[in-house]
Amino acid sequence: MPTLAHLLHLSPETLWMVAKVLIVFGGPFTLASLLTWVERRGAAMIQDRIGPNRAALFGKWRLLGLPQIAADGIKAFLKEDLVPPHVNKLVFWVAPLLTFLPAVMGFAIIPFGQSFVSGGQTYHLSLLDPGNGMGMLYPLAIGSMAVYGVLTAAWSSNNKWSILGGMRASAQMVSYEIGMSLAVITVFMRAGAYDPHLIIQAQLGLWNVLPQFLGFLVFTTCMFAETNRLPFDFAEGEAEIVAGYLTEYGSMKFALMYLSEYVHMVTASALIVTLYFGGWRVPFVADPGVWLSVLAFVIKLLCFCWLFIWIRWTLPRFRYDQLMKFGWKVMLPLSMANFLIHAFLMFKGA
Amino acid sequence: MFLIFALITLLGALAMFRSRNLIVAGLCLVLCFLGVAGLFLLLANPVAAALQIIVYSGAIVVLVLFVIMLLNSHEEEAAAQPHRIQRWLGALAAAVLGAGACKAVLSSPGLVRIGQESPARVMDLQQVGTSLFQQHVVAFEAAGLLLLAAMVAAVALVKKEL
Repeated sequence: MPTLAHLLHLSPETLWMVAKVLIVFGGPFTLASLLTWVERRGAAMIQDRIGPNRAALFGKWRLLGLPQIAADGIKAFLKEDLVPPHVNKLVFWVAPLLTFLPAVMGFAIIPFGQSFVSGGQTYHLSLLDPGNGMGMLYPLAIGSMAVYGVLTAAWSSNNKWSILGGMRASAQMVSYEIGMSLAVITVFMRAGAYDPHLIIQAQLGLWNVLPQFLGFLVFTTCMFAETNRLPFDFAEGEAEIVAGYLTEYGSMKFALMYLSEYVHMVTASALIVTLYFGGWRVPFVADPGVWLSVLAFVIKLLCFCWLFIWIRWTLPRFRYDQLMKFGWKVMLPLSMANFLIHAFLMFKGA
Repeated sequence: MFLIFALITLLGALAMFRSRNLIVAGLCLVLCFLGVAGLFLLLANPVAAALQIIVYSGAIVVLVLFVIMLLNSHEEEAAAQPHRIQRWLGALAAAVLGAGACKAVLSSPGLVRIGQESPARVMDLQQVGTSLFQQHVVAFEAAGLLLLAAMVAAVALVKKEL
């Protein structure tokens, strides 16, 4: 890195910052487009089908259907960009942006590797350095902004199904946020800190998932609700409301909103890994070094991304009233119980 | 940076007033809140910025927009008979409040210290918690009780039989 920085006439700090920005914004995005492929092939595997395998590079290499991603991208770009009449034009245009921006911003706080020292300077492998004061409040804040994409898309489309989907999605996201926050607060309390670097530091030897298994369950479930994935995908329940808030969207606007669901999935997995699975920590290795720690983080991340896909093709969808009951009468009390148990244990000095 | 965030705040607020459409007005309000959160960040108070986004933009405005969408009345209704006096009273009240806020800021003892002391430490969640539960614990509990009472009252109003 220092030689490269010298060649580009930059200081190593600047170069690392540029590299981190590229990784943090490009990484989840690339992973998300790969995940669309994983989802299709995985769904096919689970349902005992073959899945997409027709698209081929130069008509020759099929690569297990991997060129399908490129084919989809080209199709989305070249399609007619239709704006239906009777929509609110301004909001209709802004909505895909409002969906996409929170999705890609959330990753900025996640430490994706161990901090290291190079040339007398400590570098932290997260876009926002530790001690910024925002800590894990940042992804919660960004995550709470994600509702607006759904709401605006739903309302501006001027379509009954869209608005039904949007209403359901926003009610669901708001309800599940409370249970999620309580689970996160328990992690803060146990670690005595809310900075992701410190939370990971506190998980040396024992990952949070073991002492706080209840919290982990609640948080993961809420993440499914927040990302609008099955079994909570009421925003676009095909059998009832066509494609929900996406009904009126086509071409690249649709692709952007569709992709942001996967970026959300990546960010959600990263949050689960950071809060409950020790972030970049490697089991039985106290000081794994940069490469091993990044590798460990990516492997954990991919495991959770696969869990999201796996569950989608395994569980059926809830009914809407079941979803609300589940959120308020199961998730919230469980989360509170988890919080109280840990508060009591800490009070007793355990 | 200050100018950018201040402009975002002011333009968001202005656009909210000008817009006849309630949903668009709500979105402008969110823009205004984001600007305020940016201003909090510049004041070395990231916790307030995060809470501003989580509570105001993420929860309250979402609920307001939600209710507006449920009621399906997206346009501001014209008054049955226009009361010009209301408009003037409103402007007067806003002016008095604004002047009061300016006076309070200008007469605060902290103003003198600006520029004399080194910049304050970055506020973190621990400090907020400590001050909330040590200096302001009565007010905190009272606010919690008030909110609970309001919630119970709202449920009691809406649910005919409990």
